[in-house]
Amino acid sequence: MTGNQPKISRRTALKTTGVAVATGLAGCTGNGSEGASNQLELLHAWSSGDGNAAIAALIEGFQEEHPDIEFAEEPVNGAARGNLDQVMQNRLQANDPPSTFQTWPGKTLGKFGGAYEDIEGDVWNDDLKENYLSGPQAQAQYDGSYVTVPLNIHRINNLFYNTAVLDEAGVDPESLSSPSDVVDACATIDENTDAVPFAHQTSGAWSTTQLWETILLAQAGIEGYEAFINGNGDSGQVQDALQSVVDLSEYYPSDSSSISLTEANTMVMEGDAAFIHQGDWAAGAYGGNDEFNYGEDWGHVTYPGSEGSYLLNMDSFPYLANNPSPEATKQFLSYCGTAEAQVLFNAEKGSIPPRSDADVSSLNQFQQDQFEDFNAADSQPPSVEHGLAVSPGVKTNISSAFSGFLESADPASTADDLIGSFN
Amino acid sequence: MRNLLTRLKRRWSDTDRARTDGGVDSTASFWERDVVRSAPFWLPPFLLIGLFVYGAVLWNIVLSLTSFTGLGSPDYGSLSLENYVIAFQGGVPSWSELTVSPIWNSAWNTVVLMVTFSVVCLALGLILAILVDQQIRFENTFRTIYLLPMSLSFVVTAKFWLYMYNPQTGLINIAVQSLGFQPVEIVQNPDLKLAAVAFALIWQFSGYAMIVYLAGLRAIPTGHFEAARVDGASTIRMYWRVIIPQLRTATVSALVVLTVFSLKAFDFLFSMYGGYQPGPSADILATRMVREAYANGNWAYGSTIAVILFVMALMIVTPYIYSQYKRGEL
Repeated sequence: MTGNQPKISRRTALKTTGVAVATGLAGCTGNGSEGASNQLELLHAWSSGDGNAAIAALIEGFQEEHPDIEFAEEPVNGAARGNLDQVMQNRLQANDPPSTFQTWPGKTLGKFGGAYEDIEGDVWNDDLKENYLSGPQAQAQYDGSYVTVPLNIHRINNLFYNTAVLDEAGVDPESLSSPSDVVDACATIDENTDAVPFAHQTSGAWSTTQLWETILLAQAGIEGYEAFINGNGDSGQVQDALQSVVDLSEYYPSDSSSISLTEANTMVMEGDAAFIHQGDWAAGAYGGNDEFNYGEDWGHVTYPGSEGSYLLNMDSFPYLANNPSPEATKQFLSYCGTAEAQVLFNAEKGSIPPRSDADVSSLNQFQQDQFEDFNAADSQPPSVEHGLAVSPGVKTNISSAFSGFLESADPASTADDLIGSFN
Repeated sequence: MRNLLTRLKRRWSDTDRARTDGGVDSTASFWERDVVRSAPFWLPPFLLIGLFVYGAVLWNIVLSLTSFTGLGSPDYGSLSLENYVIAFQGGVPSWSELTVSPIWNSAWNTVVLMVTFSVVCLALGLILAILVDQQIRFENTFRTIYLLPMSLSFVVTAKFWLYMYNPQTGLINIAVQSLGFQPVEIVQNPDLKLAAVAFALIWQFSGYAMIVYLAGLRAIPTGHFEAARVDGASTIRMYWRVIIPQLRTATVSALVVLTVFSLKAFDFLFSMYGGYQPGPSADILATRMVREAYANGNWAYGSTIAVILFVMALMIVTPYIYSQYKRGEL
């Protein structure tokens, strides 16, 4: 070793350390978002699949009309909405809100309570108020002010079926009129075919929460359902709905706790299962399979007993206070409120436009049928599992109750937990 | 920049050193002190770690005394122990309209998971290490096979064991059925859930315990084995009386790492149950903490649970560090 060597390496090390420290400090102080007011920053979790195609179509449509507005679109990776909420939480705490972000409307808005600003008049003009049905319109409001623009609707109270399996079992889906009819039909299918009667996953609690809220709506009616989401639920009705879920669980796949929605849904597509209850994104998966066609190979009925209701799950873009690009954001939200934008978006997403005047002829047959149901529905209640109907804290309690229900299958104690979720 | 610094330093030291009485000059030595000369190396990491690790821990403790729920900024003016009372007794806190249940259930699950996991891991690791240490053929291959699961992330292990526990196609149930029993529901079975989680984690980490023990075994001089043999000790007696007592350090250090791992089983549960709702019989403090903070926006209460977890981890690590210190190994 010569005398020079350690000195040189020390210098290099010093230099490297210096650069590293400088970079680190720059990272701490840098604000990163010195966006021009014409640059719109949109945070969303649609980083893949149909959601990604849908948001791309929406942005393309918007930019054709407003070529002067730049987009800093930022998909938050990890697909799950939870990640997006964490990013939003951090951004709001740092007082650095984006222009808008993807969120469930309704009670979920309470999560970032004071972060929104009223856009009645600017965006929510008479045209929107006229053409959004009362259900979706109520969900666009937080504390009585219009703060967000819903741009799609997924329905929750669906029952999808594999036509061939039902034919083999001799079950006519149109004849079912209550949740207990579904259980009886499952018994028939179990007897007459080798297929699993009711595809369902129980590794996570969300599918079961969805199923229960649908059955509650079907059994207790819209009054009973609304009483529950307002915190005045009838314990007997809640327990009856849970009991129906338990009855149905006899007909789940025996490995329901180890599979995901994708696997459960694939069982229906491959003729290994007869029914599945799911949001209409399940139909999106069928659409990707050329061998499995709507009307021929699979069909859909409103979940028996819940006819007349369209149980809502929506996505929306809210207007955030302290907005980095006020004008551009309002233009974008106004665009999202148009029928044209909603058709572009929903054609890819597989959901339906919330505007009742939308021209849905370019959507697929299933979507057109759903849209017809939507416009004919007497009520459009908000979903519990999908955050519209209850505040985030109550929703966590309900999810906890259902994660316990998956273990215990005990309707009485779960009913107590569910009613207690609001206290 | 560097030249300027060197020149400055030289100028100061030159003038300072120009004393003729041969005495030691204090200002000159300031720049010459080791601690100052090495500052460019230790100071930046020291400050960064201090800020981002210890600073964050301290901030979290302060946050746990507030009633911060995610909106605006926390009010540090009125600190109270309310959250700790809620954590241990439950009730309706001032920052919420909803009743908050105490943490006992998840705390108990955390302790059960921690103890089962670490003890079984150590026992299994020791047995594996002794077996691998018998100068067998393909020793390296075995070692690699046992250690390999540790290189997987919790997410992979969780998904993998979800398949293993599948009542129709999972290996565990195929084994159960081949013994003539009915297939068993494992993943959502309240009696088996936590055991299933512990089992999967043991599968993943016993290889680590093996490696630590193997290193310990190799450090024991062959003479000890031979002396025990000459004195007529049976194999079991030899290991029990002579070898295992010498593995104390290995046991303690592996134990610390393993228990700390078990406190972090969050990712495993998150992947297995598709979220932070693993159900009451597998709910641990980590899942409860994330649920409170991120799903409910109860940041201060989430911080409180984090502090409790931190104290639990400290309770495990401190005696270890203290004993190391006592024996002059620190």
